Amino acid sequence: MADVLVCVENLHVRFRTYAGVVHAVNGVSFDIRRGETFGLVGETGCGKSVTGLSLLRLVPPPGEIAAGRILFNGEDLLAKSEAEMQRIRGRRIAMVFQDPAATLNPVFSVGEQIMGIIRHHQAVGRDGARRRAMEMLEAVGLPEPERLLRAYPHELSGGMQQRVMIAMALSSGAELLIADEPTTALDVTIQAQILALLVELQRSRRLSILLITHNLGVVAETCERVGVLYAGHLVEVGRTPDVFQAMKHPYTQALLAAIPRPGSHGQPLPAIPGTVPSGLERIPGCAFHPRCPFVMDVCRAEKPPLVSVGEEHTVACYLYPQGDCHLHGARA
Amino acid sequence: MRRWEYVIRRLALAVLVLVSVSVITFLIARVVPSDPAAAWVGPRPTPEQIAQARRELGLDKPLYVQYLRYVRALLRGDLGVSVKTHQPILRDLKTYLPATMELVLFGMLMAITIGIPLGVLSGAKRNGLLDHSSRLVAIAGVSMPTFWLGLLLQLLFFGKLGWLPLGGRVDRSISLYNPVQQITGFYLVDTVLTGNWVALKDSLVHLILPAFTLATYAIGLTIRMTRSTMIEVLEEKYIVAARAAGLPERTILFRLALKNAIIPTLTVLGLSFVYSLTGAILVEVIFSWPGLGTYVTNAILNVDFPVIMAVTLVVTVFYVFINLFLDLLQAALDPRVTLG
Repeated sequence: MADVLVCVENLHVRFRTYAGVVHAVNGVSFDIRRGETFGLVGETGCGKSVTGLSLLRLVPPPGEIAAGRILFNGEDLLAKSEAEMQRIRGRRIAMVFQDPAATLNPVFSVGEQIMGIIRHHQAVGRDGARRRAMEMLEAVGLPEPERLLRAYPHELSGGMQQRVMIAMALSSGAELLIADEPTTALDVTIQAQILALLVELQRSRRLSILLITHNLGVVAETCERVGVLYAGHLVEVGRTPDVFQAMKHPYTQALLAAIPRPGSHGQPLPAIPGTVPSGLERIPGCAFHPRCPFVMDVCRAEKPPLVSVGEEHTVACYLYPQGDCHLHGARA
Repeated sequence: MRRWEYVIRRLALAVLVLVSVSVITFLIARVVPSDPAAAWVGPRPTPEQIAQARRELGLDKPLYVQYLRYVRALLRGDLGVSVKTHQPILRDLKTYLPATMELVLFGMLMAITIGIPLGVLSGAKRNGLLDHSSRLVAIAGVSMPTFWLGLLLQLLFFGKLGWLPLGGRVDRSISLYNPVQQITGFYLVDTVLTGNWVALKDSLVHLILPAFTLATYAIGLTIRMTRSTMIEVLEEKYIVAARAAGLPERTILFRLALKNAIIPTLTVLGLSFVYSLTGAILVEVIFSWPGLGTYVTNAILNVDFPVIMAVTLVVTVFYVFINLFLDLLQAALDPRVTLG
């Protein structure tokens, strides 16, 4: 497959808690290509943030990556030492988070924070770091970078804070940006601006982005390809238009049906019956079967493999003809 | 500037505090059934001598006149005269206060250099071996009575091991052959200024036990405070973000997290600094340290009220200024804090 930057294979992440072992991610596999935006969508608690953190090997304890491979430029990140990972974090893979107000350190100025990261990763002096920081702030569309360097996070608006976070993340030339709900905490108009910025940066820097979100509209606007995650299982992967217009998995169908549309005013929104499993109980077979309107006997017994249902479009569901699960089935 | 406005307002309040403290100590001194005039004259006085002393000391005047005289003298920098030794109190303080300050500051230095790193590491590696042992140290530090710990340390390091001296600021041989020239009254400073290295080493050795005894409470408090705020701060998203940015753990703990976590610790340290000024009384007696504690202990035993009042005022001044300093420091460390 053309120019794959990241290849996640059969990733399992679990949390050993007092209540029992929570299986947050159960055998997720996907690729991110160079220069593309790959969307990972799902409900709260489906394991999408944990998947993102796994790529940096920063799953917080008691969480741990139990199995799988994460190939970055062909090298397995899970086989690397902590010291090697530290050289990858920030330098080759960077991350921005949901709540920019909480992700900026409140007691350091913007300049101290961004220059600290630059000076850690690059062999530049104070002046060099300062120049680089101002370039980055300009690149993310912030006016008056000189003044901004002296400002403290609480003096900035949410949109500005997120732009600063993006500037910090990309200041050391990362090839992959993991954006975990980057617009969720922002106003709608600011959301659109930040998304436009991400798209622009991706094009100008040939950046790959893993966009983690629960917002299908955000995916539709920005992602080339999308993976749908349910209870730690990847249920459908494909090009965004295919997944959105010819969705195959019953969960994806239900999810898209639940989006309010113009003209549906006054009618109740279709909801998915039942609740999301907690991850504590292991559901045999397909994780979605207790809520699926098309459930069959085989769904209760065995986990469905990913099968190809179109060009670059795979789905984990027994509704579609099996046996075609060669290359795409192994990893979508 | 806002900051100066704030400082001036706080200083005005400080004056109010000092006036109240002076009124209270003054009244207590007059209410207590002891006759300063009799103490002034000495043992076996005649009634005539006492009457004369009463006139000399102005004790025959109405109470408010006495107070105004006292305040007027204070404003001139005259803290009065000890009724026991007839020495000007200011002169006594010039020798005793630096001794205590040296002890307390050295103790604070110990609290900072031992307490903060232990607190940071024990918060970072919760429930590890270091955490458990430093928590034990912390509990022991805050709960062990000073006088008992002091005696125990003397028994061990002087009695059994013979590593450290029993008490005093310098050895007698030092006072004879390499006497410390008094410049600031801080021996560590004075010996460096005069290049008296033998005396410097000796004063350092003499400082260790009393300063540590005095500091155990502050060390324990600092460990506990730093640990608990570190645990909180390390959960913050900006720490996860710093890890994601590939910053090394050392920078994260001792720079990015500590600057957030240290503010409550500093408040505690500042307050225990003032607490140590009075806590030094016991320690100084145990280690025969010629400081404020020894001075005020003798004054209390002799009902030497001018001295007690002067020391109380000095401690109050420290208290007020340390608090002001802490508030300014907090505003300097945390840009979200506004002074108002």
